[in-house]
Order: sequence, then C-alpha cells, then structure tokens
Amino acid sequence: MVAKLKVNRAASSAGLIVLAAVAALVAAPTFRDGVAIGVALAVAIAGVATLTTPGLRATHPVVVRSALTLVVLDITLIATYFFSATTNFNLATGAAMSIVLLGLSFLTGASGQISLGNGAFMGVGAFVMAIWANHHATTPIAVTLLIAVAVGALVGLLLGLPATRLRGPYLAGMTLAFAVAFTAILSSFNSWTGGDAGLQLPTSVTPPRWLESFFGSGTSLLTTNSMWLADITIVVTGVAFFLMANLFASRTGRAMRLIRDNDVAAELVGVSLPRTRVIAFIVSSAFAALGGALWTMINNSVSPSTYSFALSITILSLVVIGGIGTIPGAIIGGIIYAYSTDAINWITNQTGLNPQGNVASQLNGIIFGGLLILTMLFAPMGISGAVHRWWRGRKDKSGRLATPSH
Amino acid sequence: MMDPILTSRIMSDVLGGLTNGVMYGLVALSLVLVWRSTGILNFAQGAMPMFATYLGMGLLSYHLSYWPCVAISIVAGFAIGGVTERVLVRSLYGKPEINPVVVMVGFLIVLEAVASAIWSTTPRGLPSPFSPIDWQIGGKPFGLSDFTLYEIVTGVIVMVAVAALFRFTKLGLQLRAAALAPEVSRLLGVRVGRMLTLGWMLSTAVGTITTVLVASNYFTGLTPQVMDSIFAFGFIAAAVGGLDSPVGALVAGVSLGIILQFVSDYLNSNAIIIVALIFLIVSLMVRPSGLFTKSSARRV
Repeated sequence: MVAKLKVNRAASSAGLIVLAAVAALVAAPTFRDGVAIGVALAVAIAGVATLTTPGLRATHPVVVRSALTLVVLDITLIATYFFSATTNFNLATGAAMSIVLLGLSFLTGASGQISLGNGAFMGVGAFVMAIWANHHATTPIAVTLLIAVAVGALVGLLLGLPATRLRGPYLAGMTLAFAVAFTAILSSFNSWTGGDAGLQLPTSVTPPRWLESFFGSGTSLLTTNSMWLADITIVVTGVAFFLMANLFASRTGRAMRLIRDNDVAAELVGVSLPRTRVIAFIVSSAFAALGGALWTMINNSVSPSTYSFALSITILSLVVIGGIGTIPGAIIGGIIYAYSTDAINWITNQTGLNPQGNVASQLNGIIFGGLLILTMLFAPMGISGAVHRWWRGRKDKSGRLATPSH
Repeated sequence: MMDPILTSRIMSDVLGGLTNGVMYGLVALSLVLVWRSTGILNFAQGAMPMFATYLGMGLLSYHLSYWPCVAISIVAGFAIGGVTERVLVRSLYGKPEINPVVVMVGFLIVLEAVASAIWSTTPRGLPSPFSPIDWQIGGKPFGLSDFTLYEIVTGVIVMVAVAALFRFTKLGLQLRAAALAPEVSRLLGVRVGRMLTLGWMLSTAVGTITTVLVASNYFTGLTPQVMDSIFAFGFIAAAVGGLDSPVGALVAGVSLGIILQFVSDYLNSNAIIIVALIFLIVSLMVRPSGLFTKSSARRV
C-alpha cells in the first residue's frame, strides 16, 4: 500500500515537472530563460514532493531539511527576478542579518549564554572581507567569505575561552567590552582598516562569465548586479541555515540544550561544560562574521561607523523579538531588520514629527528598547514562540490530543 | 626649591589615574551592590543615574544653584532605583539569567534614547564650584586640582559611608542577611523584598553621585552617553575584583584607572579600551572568580 502510494507520488511529481518545463519553455521570452525557469520549477516540485512524503521526517531528517532548504531557496531566487533593485538590496541585507541572528539565537537558545558583541563580530567579518579583497583581488569570493568566517571564529575563541568558563553574566559583560572597544581597535589599525572612511572593494562582485555568456548580455535574468548579489547572499544564507539546523539536531546541539536546562546533569552524563560552551560561542561568532562579510559584499564597501555598539544591541533586540532559539525567529528578525528603517520613517511621517528633530532621531532606540523589554517580560519566546503557542492552542481546541508542555 | 618628583610626568599620571580610578571604583561598587543583593548584573547601571542626574541638574535652568540640584539628583537616583526594582526587576527573580540581562539592556537603550529625545545629545556644562586648573608647585603643574580633589574626597566619603552602613548598622545587617539567606531572614522578620528594593536604591544613588562628579568635569559635561565608557571600565573593574567583593571592586577600579592613565599618556587614547579588555581577559584567565573573592563551592 505504502509502496504503491510512493510510486504514485513519484509518477505524479514527474508528470508535473514535465508539464512545468513545457509551460516554461512556451511562456518564457527566450529559450534560455525558459530553461532556467523550467529547472527552478522542477526543483521546487521535486522538493515539495520529498517534503510531503509521509514518514520521511522521522527516518531521514537530513533529507527533509535539505529539501526544505532547496524549496525555500528556489522560490526566493525566482522571486528576486521579479523584485526591484531596492527590494533585492533589502532582501539581501535582511538575509545576511538573519545569519547573524541565527548565530546568536543558537548561542542563547542552545547554551543559555548571551553575547552583546555580535555587532563587533560582524565587523570582524566585514573588515577581513574588505582587507583581504584589497590585498588579493584574485581570490574567489567563496574563499574570501570562508577566510572572514575563520577569522571571526578565531576571535570568538580568543574571547570565549576565558568567559565561557564562568557562570553568570561574564560573557555578556566581556562581549559588551569588546563591542565598545571595537571602534577603537579599528582606528588603531588605521593603515589596514582605512580609518573613519572605511574601505572600498577593488571590484564589485559580478556574475561569473559562463553564466553571463549563457544568458547573453542584455537579458535581465541573473545578470543585473543587485539581483546577482541578492542571489548569492540568499544561497549562502540557505546553506548557513541548513548547517545550523543540522548542528542544532546533532549530539552537540543536544548537549548544549542540556547545559542550558541543567548544567549539573549535563556534566554528570559526561558533557564537557567549558568545551561545549566555547563551541557554541565560536559558532555564533563565525555566523556573525559571515553576515558582516556578506554586508561588505552587498554594499561593495565597509564603514567603521556601521559596527558600533548600537548594532550589537539591535541584533540582540531582533533575536529576542523574533524568538530566541528558533529558526523562524531568526528569519522574522531578518525581515524586521530589512524594513525597520522604512517602518520608522513611516511612523515619523504619520505622526508629523520633525524628521531632523530630537524625538525622531531617537525613535529607533525607543521602539527597539521598549519592544525588547516588553517581549522579555510578557512573551519571552518572541513572535515565533507566541505564534507557535497560538497554533498549538488552536489545535488543542479542535479536539486533538494536547501535547504535554514542559 | 621645587620637588622634581612631585611635578614629574609619572606623578601626574598616578594622580590623574587615581581620580579616574575612583570613578571606576564607584561604578564597580554600585554594580556589586546590585549583584550581591539580587544576583543581577545591571547593564543600565550607567543610564539610570544619568537620567537621575538630568532630572536633578535640569533644575539649574530654574535658577537653582549647584548644591540643591546635586541633592535633588541623588533623591531622584534613590527613586529611580526603587521604582525600577519594583516595576521591572521584581518579576525577573528566578528566571533564566539571560532574562534580566536582556531587560536591563533594553532599559539602557530606552533611557538613553528618551534622554536624548528630551535633552538632546549636546553636552550640557555643569557649573562646578571647584576650579579644574591644576595646582602649581614651583611654577610647574601638579596632577591635582580643586576639582579632582573634590572628586576623590567625595568618592572616598561615599565608599566609607557604604562600608559603615553595611558593617555597623542594623539596616546593613538586614541588607546582608537578605542577600545571603533570604528564607531564613524572612523567618526572622526581615522584610526581604524591601531590602532588595533598598539595595537597588542605594546602588543607583551611588551611581548618581558618580555621574554628577563625572559630568561636573569642565571637559566632559552631561550627555546621555556620559556613563557609557565609564560603565564599561566599571564593569571590567567589578569583574576583575570579583562581582561580590566591594573591596575588590574599589581596588580594581583604582588600579585600572592608574594603568589606563599611563596607557593614554604613553601610547594613545585608542589603546585605553583595548588594554582594559586585555586586562579583563588575562585576569579572568588567571583568577576566574575575581581577584578578591574567596573561592566558594557552588551548591547544586
């Protein structure tokens, strides 16, 4: 019965894929665009078919996770084709930010520690990216990104090693000191970091030759720069989320959650507290560095004023508001970030405040700080936690068995 | 004849560092007061006193003179500390340790943003009653002025007063008892909740005195961010000295002040916070629970 069901599903998916490919070829302006759209649709259909296969989630969680990543990536990539340059830029900025949020969310949600310095770790990635690109212009972009991540992880190790051995708010305090010191560190290495002006990338990141020659110059698909930058940022974001989801479900991830809930029990079953805590902190710093490196790539430049203490606080607020320790929470936070400037400008306009006035310039801090306090006091699991609870409550009402909550 | 040692660069650095160090020590002391009574590291420990100082010193515009304004600032500090503990902090006891950190960081942002919105970020000069010009010995500057002496003497008075309160009064005994063994204290008739509020009030008042001293400096003035860097140094001092040791906080604060004065004189001003960070990292590596705490076993 099950085997027959699987065969039917496979056959119908294959049929759908063929149909989609034909439709794409007919509808697309050029043959090559049609091929691209056809491939994208085929991936989406195959992915959804895999996702909806009953029972697969329990037996092969990694397959389901990769399928989910693929489908979301695929849909978002197609969407960038229709978006304006501004929307693509916002999307890329928000996506890179969501990587940073995911890193902090993991640190806090899994190991119960908190970092107030992830803005500075972003800055480490951002500046390493720019410095390396300025000294070795020929290095492929993927390698430069990895170098930025590695340096971020190294700095994380350096700071995490002393602080994670301690209970209490030492890590929070030390990362705060790092965030405050970061601007001073940057200006101490003026000749490398370009002082107050920051750095420009020597060349902007453009689509590779083969892709351009495939579509031919002049077609809009994949070849405009803002779309290309958004596309690679989204792909990197997808990979980062996929890796994190696996790490979270792994043995290390489980050990971290045990530490958060009961560190004595964790030690009793043989989890090394300091080592696991340091790993969590390094992962969080590396993710922050990746986000910062992507920001440098998107903006084609980096400025020290971006990576002030205020950014670290913004990151913390977004994680808390989105929902600590959850993957949807990081995505929600990234979306909020991408549109926060627009939203605050809108509020300024609607309330008739003087945009150059004292109140309007402080609106960001008042709103984010206020939301931070209110979320922590009244809905500590943030938006994603609240939605989750509402969803479960609805299910319970509709007569299903209530799952015991802890 | 003049004494070359008294007017030397080293002497002037030591005295200048002592003045800053007393400020760091006071902030560290206020952090320790809150940590010991409620087990919370108060990240708004710079911003709450800043707000109180604006409230008090703002009355200067209404033709009140310096000293009454200082007194009103301190009263405002007591009030803000008490209200904060009752309204914001009370529900956080017993929650995971990141909850109070997040709430106090949020409070820090809100207070600084609201202060900037009301009073703007332009520094406001306070009419200090003491001259900031260095004393002269034999025609050469000596690293102290009337103003820095005012800062040091006030700082020492506050420290002695806090120590005396805890050591020699019944109230101090109750404060210590409430922090150390809340259940037993409650059984013996100590109003534990009230003691926790009092701990926060005291801490914010100490912070307010520090803020008034810092902002009265002719070269600094009062801004919403005036305590940001001093808070960072104060935290470093408290962490190095041990978060539950008042003496450690003071000693670490003064040493940090003197070290950093030499750093800023012989290296540059950028190096100050970097050296402070290294100081923190190294000392946590060597003595994780702080230089001045008796290491105690953690109960499960």
